[in-house]
Amino acid sequence: MLNQEVLKKFASIVGPERCKTSPEDLLTYAYDAYVHEYLPDGVLFPRTAQEVSQIMKVASAHNVFVTPRGAGSGLMAGALAKQGGIILCFTMMNRILEINTANRYAVVEPGVVISEFQKAVEKLNLFYPPDPGSATVATMGGAVVMNAGGMRGVKYGVTRDYLLGMEIVLPSGEVMNTGSRTSKDVTGYDLTRLICGSEGTLALVTKIIVRLLPKPKTKRTLLAIYNRIDDAGNTVAKIIEAGIIPATLELMDKMIIKALEDFAHLGLPVDAEALLLMDVDGDPETVEKQAALVADFCRNQGARDVRVSQSDKENEQLWVARRSAFGAVARMRPTCVIEDATVPVSYLTSAIKKVIEIAERNRVQIAVLAHAGDGNLHPLVLCDERDKDEMARVEKAMGEIVDYAMSVGGTLSGEHGIGIAKAKYLPRQLSETSLKMMRAIKKTFDPQGILNPGSFLEHQA
Amino acid sequence: MIAEELREEVHNCIKCGLCMTPCPVYKQLYFEGASPRGKVQLIKKILEGKLEPSENFHRLLFTCLLCETCTVNCPSGLKVDRLMKAMRAEILDQFGLRWQKKMLFNLLTSHRLLPFFLFWGRTLGNPLLSLLPKNGKVGTIPYSKFPRLNSKPLRNQYPEIIPAAEPKGRVLYFTGCATHYLFENVGRSVIDILKRLGVEVLIPKEQMCCGLPIFLSGARKMALKNMQKNIELFNRKDVDAVIVDCATCGAALKKEYTHILEEMGENAEAARELGRKVQDISQYLLGFDLEKFLRPIKARVTYHDPCHLLRSQGVKEEPRSLLKRIPGVELVEMAGADVCCGGGGTFQWEHPEVASGISGNKVQSIKETRASTVASGCPGCRLQIHGNLGEEPIRVVHPVELVAEALLEK
Repeated sequence: MLNQEVLKKFASIVGPERCKTSPEDLLTYAYDAYVHEYLPDGVLFPRTAQEVSQIMKVASAHNVFVTPRGAGSGLMAGALAKQGGIILCFTMMNRILEINTANRYAVVEPGVVISEFQKAVEKLNLFYPPDPGSATVATMGGAVVMNAGGMRGVKYGVTRDYLLGMEIVLPSGEVMNTGSRTSKDVTGYDLTRLICGSEGTLALVTKIIVRLLPKPKTKRTLLAIYNRIDDAGNTVAKIIEAGIIPATLELMDKMIIKALEDFAHLGLPVDAEALLLMDVDGDPETVEKQAALVADFCRNQGARDVRVSQSDKENEQLWVARRSAFGAVARMRPTCVIEDATVPVSYLTSAIKKVIEIAERNRVQIAVLAHAGDGNLHPLVLCDERDKDEMARVEKAMGEIVDYAMSVGGTLSGEHGIGIAKAKYLPRQLSETSLKMMRAIKKTFDPQGILNPGSFLEHQA
Repeated sequence: MIAEELREEVHNCIKCGLCMTPCPVYKQLYFEGASPRGKVQLIKKILEGKLEPSENFHRLLFTCLLCETCTVNCPSGLKVDRLMKAMRAEILDQFGLRWQKKMLFNLLTSHRLLPFFLFWGRTLGNPLLSLLPKNGKVGTIPYSKFPRLNSKPLRNQYPEIIPAAEPKGRVLYFTGCATHYLFENVGRSVIDILKRLGVEVLIPKEQMCCGLPIFLSGARKMALKNMQKNIELFNRKDVDAVIVDCATCGAALKKEYTHILEEMGENAEAARELGRKVQDISQYLLGFDLEKFLRPIKARVTYHDPCHLLRSQGVKEEPRSLLKRIPGVELVEMAGADVCCGGGGTFQWEHPEVASGISGNKVQSIKETRASTVASGCPGCRLQIHGNLGEEPIRVVHPVELVAEALLEK
């Protein structure tokens, strides 16, 4: 428990309104979109880097654990106070500070919601591509420390690929800048990309500089419908192999299709075994050509129908539905754990087969969703956390999926991160030397170990 | 007792967070307790016996507009608004009602007190209202922006049956308190249009307040008499429709009565039958060849979706079509027409800072359209928008008022 003296110090930094400690506040900061809950001792809402710095000075002086948090849409307990202490919640530090059209970059505070930022730059004909499924919820700060990926990864890469620099606060309370505002920058170690994906274990991000692209002139959404999920998987591999790069390439199986149709009523084919949802974007002529080409590929691989969206509204509806997939499956079962193993894309079809086989063998219900274009599987494991026996089978199935991904040269997690969800598998991918280096880095930034304790490097399963 | 169906739903919230960004209240406050998923979490903990309903919980539960945006955005299908409404009823005994609400609800449930009170309101209140300090406010609304009470309650201005020579239709008209006591021009417009279309209008004199403000505050038992009386008066087979000009009353009659009676363990069959008969006036009028009766008027109009019309009743296109059918009306969509205005009944009075932030955004969107008129079929939204427009020379009306203005002389 936090002692009252320390708490008073925190409250004097942010004011009583932004220092919350009631049971109701603690319970509502005990969760993210993963399954487990951890109660913090308090929640602070800083508005400036100075406040963050002062908070960290107090925290390090008194050895108080601090866990940073954005919108809490993460899927591995990264933003939860796993060993108590305070949550530093950035949702009130949410201004877009600058959108520079001449040099195509923007500066934002960490609490800005990704989709709101995207809308703001798109108004100026610019484009911020990283687009995680949770973009309408998640914050820029969260995306940065998790190195969020998402739907457009196949063509545009992930959050890391758009970072130019940041302002960070170290656990000691020191404020420092990394990177610059230029796209080329080799001055010193690339600390920007070290913080990116560090799951909030190294420093607190208080300002983010990202590069922007010109907004693609046009976009077309295609929906390919399959009677066999293998055909859908093969289509993806073929498209990528042929050198066509769609902006998005999403695969969903029949369980997902049904859940989405129940929610959104879009007239999705509920009798299909699989769907591919694809965007092509760019200049109008290129888009026309690519859309036709992609449609041909789908048909040649056995798609029974390929629909091309007729309007922006229709595009939008399909993507809103896709973004709802995680929530929508909760219609079938109360709990949903998302797997995130990623394989080289040519293994996609066999990976899907493997997932189905693992599900059957362990008697668990798995719906298959994938950012297929980059081999990023999202098997949604449907269960009920109240059923202990079932949860044990879920654990086992997830372990087997991870093993399979590793065996074909894939990774534990493509974009959701390790947190506590996958910490126990970490030694399967990282060597002892690699872990030792990571722990040394952690120690350099955070010698007292007060930042996001209980995270992936120290988690004991 | 919260219905089993709603109790089970709390386990289906997987905290995806899709309810947060669209929630107007969360977007002002930016902490979880103000968000729908936060409230669902707290209700879950209470149902599991892991949290006692506290004053703080009570406050959070009422830091909600009940705009239902979370419910329509919830991919997991939680009926978040119904859960919160049921919880409000559940903790009523523990926390009671504020005295102002108690007084208001006592008036709204009484056949005798309300007219008596409003008689004196008219004779004394209307003149008094002009004496109140100019910068004084109720919640976010300045005194000067409150409407004056009707010179005579609407239902006293008309007979109970307004016949038609060769009836093209026959409707029961639920006038609602706002039209009856405050916005008589809306009621007159409805009646004028229906008369012109040759529809026979029945206006039961005994009708009571729909009760929605009462039962949404949790006082379901207190509202029971109102619901039963209205069901008795309006659930009739000999009419084409029960028409309503108020989004809120419509939501009450169309669906809330059924839900609440069911959840209270009362017989809800008659309520369900009534629900099927209820139509918003914009829905009913679309069945007629209106253009024949209209002359051009000139107005640049923008339309605001009342929560109780759009989300509670699924009525989105009808009021817009109605406006578009008036010759000369240029309908311009505002950004975020479907976002709550921030009124939320007594919400704007209980949470003026939050409400004024939300209303400020709404006013901004309205101004950006450069419309001269905002149309919205809800007296609550009308009050809130008008009350927050400041000195802007923008008119706030019910769509039927514009239709009535365009009616050709006979």
